[in-house]
Amino acid sequence: MSPSLTRILRRAAYAPWVLLIACLMLASNGAHAVPAYARQTGNACADCHAGAYGPALTPYGMRFKLNGYTDTDGQGTKIPVAAQITGAHNVPARGDNTTQLSEVDVYLAGRISDHLGGFVKVETDNTGNDHYNTKLSNLDLRFVAKDLKVAGKDTVVGVSVNNSPGFDDPISSLPYASGLGPPAVSGTLLNLSSAHSLYNKVIGGSVYALYNNDWYGEVGTYNTMPTSVQDHLGFNPAGDPGHISDTGYFRFAYMKDMKRQFFSAGVVALTTKRALPRNGPSDDITDLGYDLTYQFLGNRDNIIQASYVNILEQRDYGSTPVVNGVMAKPNGNARDQTLSVTYTFKQSYALQVAHLISTGSQDPVRYPPFGKPDSTANMITLYWTPFGKDDSFTSLANLKLAATWYRYTRFNGASDNIFGAPPGALLITNAKDLDAFTLSASVAF
Amino acid sequence: MTKARLARAARCALMTGMFFYGAGALPALAGDADAGKDVFKQECSECHSPKEGKNKKGPSLFGIVGRNAGSISDYNYSDALKNAKWVWTEDKLHWYLSQPAKQANPGTKMKYSGLNDAKQLDDLISYLQSNH
Repeated sequence: MSPSLTRILRRAAYAPWVLLIACLMLASNGAHAVPAYARQTGNACADCHAGAYGPALTPYGMRFKLNGYTDTDGQGTKIPVAAQITGAHNVPARGDNTTQLSEVDVYLAGRISDHLGGFVKVETDNTGNDHYNTKLSNLDLRFVAKDLKVAGKDTVVGVSVNNSPGFDDPISSLPYASGLGPPAVSGTLLNLSSAHSLYNKVIGGSVYALYNNDWYGEVGTYNTMPTSVQDHLGFNPAGDPGHISDTGYFRFAYMKDMKRQFFSAGVVALTTKRALPRNGPSDDITDLGYDLTYQFLGNRDNIIQASYVNILEQRDYGSTPVVNGVMAKPNGNARDQTLSVTYTFKQSYALQVAHLISTGSQDPVRYPPFGKPDSTANMITLYWTPFGKDDSFTSLANLKLAATWYRYTRFNGASDNIFGAPPGALLITNAKDLDAFTLSASVAF
Repeated sequence: MTKARLARAARCALMTGMFFYGAGALPALAGDADAGKDVFKQECSECHSPKEGKNKKGPSLFGIVGRNAGSISDYNYSDALKNAKWVWTEDKLHWYLSQPAKQANPGTKMKYSGLNDAKQLDDLISYLQSNH
């Protein structure tokens, strides 16, 4: 068992709420609606986001992202700055209710020229008791060559420098782009809820191309940032993903925009050597996944967006520690699955239901006490976004009022006594004790 | 007598059939502007606003029918459309929108593959005609 995993599980056993809060924050941290883009393009928020608030993209929003955030209404230079403020009332199944200013974000987002554009999010989170932590959240800087012709077909070629493999994906169903990943004890590297996820803690880039508006391909490579840099950028070194090397990221997808409907099918792969801790032996890790997306857009009054993502991670561990005479297995796997369906009415009222599953191979040493890292959860969100449409009070800013229910049916391989408290223990935690209900209000301008 | 009635009925049926057959070959009737509003949302609204003075990636389409091409003063048209010396009549819109924009006006910035559903095109143009 890696020392860092031991630390997490030990901490989880004594203070499960630490784990819970981390999971909830990761699952809910998905707002990418940027009014700076609306000002730049003259578009309403709803042109790019079905519910007039991100992160899920319409096909038009996908093209804007692929074009490197450079599209414009040609009405001169706009200030590429936006902000989002979120307040939340949290009602956990166990523990104290809280009402707090939960997050303040500043975005530097927009075009620099016809070929250069970007998205940078600086996020300040309330870490409890009105203590705030500021971090460089998302980074995606792009160079793009548009209006190319290859074999007579329209082609876009671009380069993205970013800090999360897959965040730059146009389809926005992969976990780093959707902001949605299953809460995990042993999640894949591409799951933003994994304890040592790469999300925002690596730096790298990729070359991508869209051919004939349908075929998307991307090849990239990444390195982890030194822990000192992560610290300076606002990340807790305890979440260090370790040292990764020989990393390759590959993405291929077919996407079809039929105006009233959209469909995509894609595959994703990540291969790397990871040393965690950094002075330890390296694990060989390969992620292979696929994703399917369907959108019914119609006349935009009734929109359905559905996506399914399945990522399998295969690991050859660099060490096989022995605990209580039992040796850890030399290899294993983890699988993350996300099924999400969203219905949006009049681009203002939406219901999202997500089923989130994280599973892994059995290993009594790495995943005590039950030897299984499996977790299953649901997220159900009802929200209202009154603005951000062409015919609303303002099309360039928005408000989102949301009610979200997080429901856990399995965690750490069990539904009951998930941390394996001994018989007679005063505090036994069941999976459903991790449930929580949240009311939140976000304003973006 | 009966034969004569049958013959008249047959001629009548034949003429009725010819009428409906012929109607299919006639130019489409005027479109439905309400249905055209939905077509506008699905085909045009991401790049064009129907509001006066509201430009997006493309210029406002308020009052487009009867307007000279490339004539909104605060929109940055391509040279191709600035130099297009035509008026957006219903016929011109029908011609332009029924094919890829870059085929109709080589050099245009507009990326549109064309609308090949005749009814939707009629409905859309009726909506554009009504939006002034």
